[in-house]
This record gives sequence, structure tokens and C-alpha cells, in this order.
Amino acid sequence: MSNFLFLFRGGNSDWLEDSPEEMQKHMQKWGAWMGGLREKGQLVDGLPLAKEGKVVEKAGEVITDGPFAEGAEIVGGYLIVSADDLAEAVAISKGCPIFEHEGNVEVREILSMNI
Amino acid sequence: MSERKAILENVFRHEYGKIIAVLVNRFGASNLEKIEDAVQDALVKAMQVWAFKEVPENPTAWLIKVAYNKIIDAFRKEAKVVMNDFETTDDLIDEPTTLSLKEHISDSQLKMIFACCHPSLSVEYQLVLSLKLIGGFGNREIAKVLLKKEATVAKSFTRARAKLKEEIKTLDIPIEIGLQSRLFVVMRVIYLLFSEGYAPHSGELIVRKDVCYEAIRLALLLQENKYCKHQNLDALIALMCFHVARFDARIDHKEQLVDLAHQDRSKYNQELINIGIFHLGSSGAIDRQPSNYYLQAMVSYYHCIAKTFEETEWGTILELYDLQLQQQYSPIVQLNRIVPYLQVHGAHKALKEIKVFEKSPHFIKNTLYHAIKAEILTDLGRLEDAKIALNNAIERCANPLQEKHLLGKLHVLTS
Repeated sequence: MSNFLFLFRGGNSDWLEDSPEEMQKHMQKWGAWMGGLREKGQLVDGLPLAKEGKVVEKAGEVITDGPFAEGAEIVGGYLIVSADDLAEAVAISKGCPIFEHEGNVEVREILSMNI
Repeated sequence: MSERKAILENVFRHEYGKIIAVLVNRFGASNLEKIEDAVQDALVKAMQVWAFKEVPENPTAWLIKVAYNKIIDAFRKEAKVVMNDFETTDDLIDEPTTLSLKEHISDSQLKMIFACCHPSLSVEYQLVLSLKLIGGFGNREIAKVLLKKEATVAKSFTRARAKLKEEIKTLDIPIEIGLQSRLFVVMRVIYLLFSEGYAPHSGELIVRKDVCYEAIRLALLLQENKYCKHQNLDALIALMCFHVARFDARIDHKEQLVDLAHQDRSKYNQELINIGIFHLGSSGAIDRQPSNYYLQAMVSYYHCIAKTFEETEWGTILELYDLQLQQQYSPIVQLNRIVPYLQVHGAHKALKEIKVFEKSPHFIKNTLYHAIKAEILTDLGRLEDAKIALNNAIERCANPLQEKHLLGKLHVLTS
């Protein structure tokens, strides 16, 4: 078993115009999806992230708004998920509601000190 | 899920209305666009954060704080408002306060209802503003209910909002005076809202039911305020409860309309019927001239409590229709009256009664007229004539759900 980082990004901006009802439904899908992971013991950790951020390069000589500001983030945030391997982690990510709004998930294995 | 709970559901939608009201009350209607943006942003943030964590203990206070800060930020960017007046949300949210948050919200929403129902606004504007700013419905949802294009609703809302801002500089009207003089207008808007929700149109049943619940919620909100207590309001609440109580029985599992004679009465919602009866009792019209709402509520009540179609108290219902007509003549009421008339006096007399309408060019175009006529002719065994009447009804029918229902009847007659 390894832990994997799920980083949620992007999405079209149509949803910013969604009605409160539609937003609630979308939120409930996230809740249900994460709840499912928790029940199966796959969810290790996770937090939401603000839309604003900076990318710092060359020891602060270059500070940009970063490469991540593609479209409007739906649920910007990260999860740490436990899975057998990358393939399983990717399979888990497929159920994520972010795809409803054309967002994406970056899946990366977190390296462990244990050999 | 119980119906009462359903009225309280849709947290986001209701929060939207609440927070808009609180903030408009604080910052004035002139900042309406800014407030709408801020509340939308707050909901976006809620969606992000609440999905990861638990919904906070007091979601309303959480949302107000977030929206409040967004507005302050927007003002700062414009740097044209003296901030001191609005620096803190403490008096809104934190204890101790003169008004609890809950009271503050219902007070603000009440003012908002009266603002959206301002007599200087057209009925269309009143409906769109109420649905959007109080009910928290989106343009798409409103379009489905009012059978309009989304873009049309958006335009209509923009114009309505401009007019609202022009007419209502501040919500701070003396509540006693403002409420009492406008209560009847507000009740009419609620009634219209309810009627929009109640008319069956295929495909959008859920949204329509939500609109009915919203109308009931608003009426209950009014009812809680001592200045709004009025027997007509209780009658209106009773009327709406009795109608919604039969909602599930009106549509079968195939999404087909079921007429009164064939409804499964065990599906009538007893909880709502009881709430209706409670308010009917408070609408005490014994020594006063009963309101139209009261008479309509009574008709609906007798339908709700009848064990079967045949055991319905048609005689009483017919009298209630006659009373309605005496008070205020309405051709539609007169036409609907034929339905109990047919049950009380039989098809021969009913056919004579409906002949009155034949000369009216308005009713020749009316689906209901032809449908009722077909019903009478079927009872008389004049099946060929009944078919012609049904075909006339179908031809004039603009409602797919009803059309399907009439086609089903035609099919029965033909086979």
C-alpha cells in the first residue's frame, strides 16, 4: 500500500453561474464521493485550497500567479488516498465529481521512507 | 421524506435568500448586484470547504460572514464608502444582540418580500424577483417554471432589479404600516407563485413542486409576524396545503396525470391535510364574508377528506362555487363549477348549463371547456359527440402532460 496525492484543478467557468440548488447538488456529490472513500478506509487526509496562489521561481526573482490558474477551480483542494498502486489510485480518481465540469485530478504517489 | 421536511430542505437555496435579505437590509438595495455577487461567492466557498469538511454548526452565520467580507472587499476596492459604518458583522452574528440571528433573518426576509412585491412592480417582475431573491432559484429553474427562455428570464430579472432599486431606496419602511397596507398584494403574489408551481407541465415536476413549497414557506414566514396575521393568510396557507397534499396522487408512476376520479387517495398527504385544517380553523370566516382563498380552501378540503370520488360532498362543493361566483364573477370559476354540477344534477342538466359557454369566443378556445363537455357527453352515452369534444380539447391543449391524459381518454372511447 502507498499513499497518493490527488490534486484537483481546473474546470470550465460555467458553474460559477450555477444556481444555489445546482451548487448544493454538486457539493453533495463531492461529499458522497469522499464519504465513500472514507468508508472503505482509502481516505487518509484532505483539505480545500484557495483559488489564489503564487509560484515562486529563482529564489523570489520571479513570482507569478502560477500555471494552475486554468479556468475556474471547482473544488480546489487535495486529498491523500491510500491505494495498492498508481493504477488503483487512478481508478479511484475516476469517480471524482470534478469531471462534471471538465476539471482534472493529478495523481502522484507520495514516497515513503520505509523501504 | 416528510413534506414538512421538504419545505425546509434545499439549504443552499434558502440560505441564498436569507443572506441576500440580511445584506440588502444592511447595505441597501442600491448595492444589490454587489450583494448578489458576494452571496454567490460565499456559496462557492461553502461548496469547496464544506465538501471537504463538515457543514459548520451555524451555516447561515458562516455564509453571512464570508459574504459580508466579500462586500467589504469590494467596497475597499472602490474606496468610496466610509467603512466604519459597516466594519463588523458582530452585531449581526455574535451574542449578545438585541435581535437573535433568526429573528433578524425573518425580519429582513419579510422586508424583502414586501420590497419584491412592491405595487409599482409588474406581476412578472414581482414573480421573478421573489423567486430569485427570496427563493434563491436560478434563471434556468425560473425559466422552467414560467415556461420562458433562460435568456428572457435573465433580461427580465435585470430590468426588474433596476426598477426595484429605483423604487426602493431602502428596505427600512416602518414595518407596521408597510406590512398591513401591502399584505394583500403580497398574498396575491404568493398565490400566483403557487399557481405557477401547481399547473402540471411535463418534465419539470420537481422544480414545480419546489415552487409550491416556496410559496407555502413564504406564507408561513408572513404568518409568524404579528403585523401580518390575517384570516385570509390562514385561508391561503390552508388552500396551498390541501392542494400540495394531493400532489403525489395527481401523477402516477409513469409520470401521467391522474384525474380526480382515479386518484389513489391513500397517497394524499395526511400531515399536510392536518396543517391545512389547522389554518382553516384559524381563518374563521363564520361571521365575516369569507374570502376567495377561504372558499377555494374549503373546496380543496372536501376533496382531500372524501373517501372516494363518489362519496365526495359534491352538493357542498357546488354551493362553495356559487358563493365564489356571487362574490366575484369569474368565467373560469363558472366553468369549473360544471364539474360538481354534473355530479349533483346529472348529465342532462349539466349539458344545458355548459351551453352558456358555447357563445363565448374565449371558451371555444379553452381546453378545459371541451374536456368537461366530453365528460358530460360520455355520461349521456353520446360517444361520437364526446369524441369530437375530446378531439377539440386535444387540439387546443398546450400542455403535453394534459394532452397525453386526454389522448388516453380518447383511446378508451374509441376502443
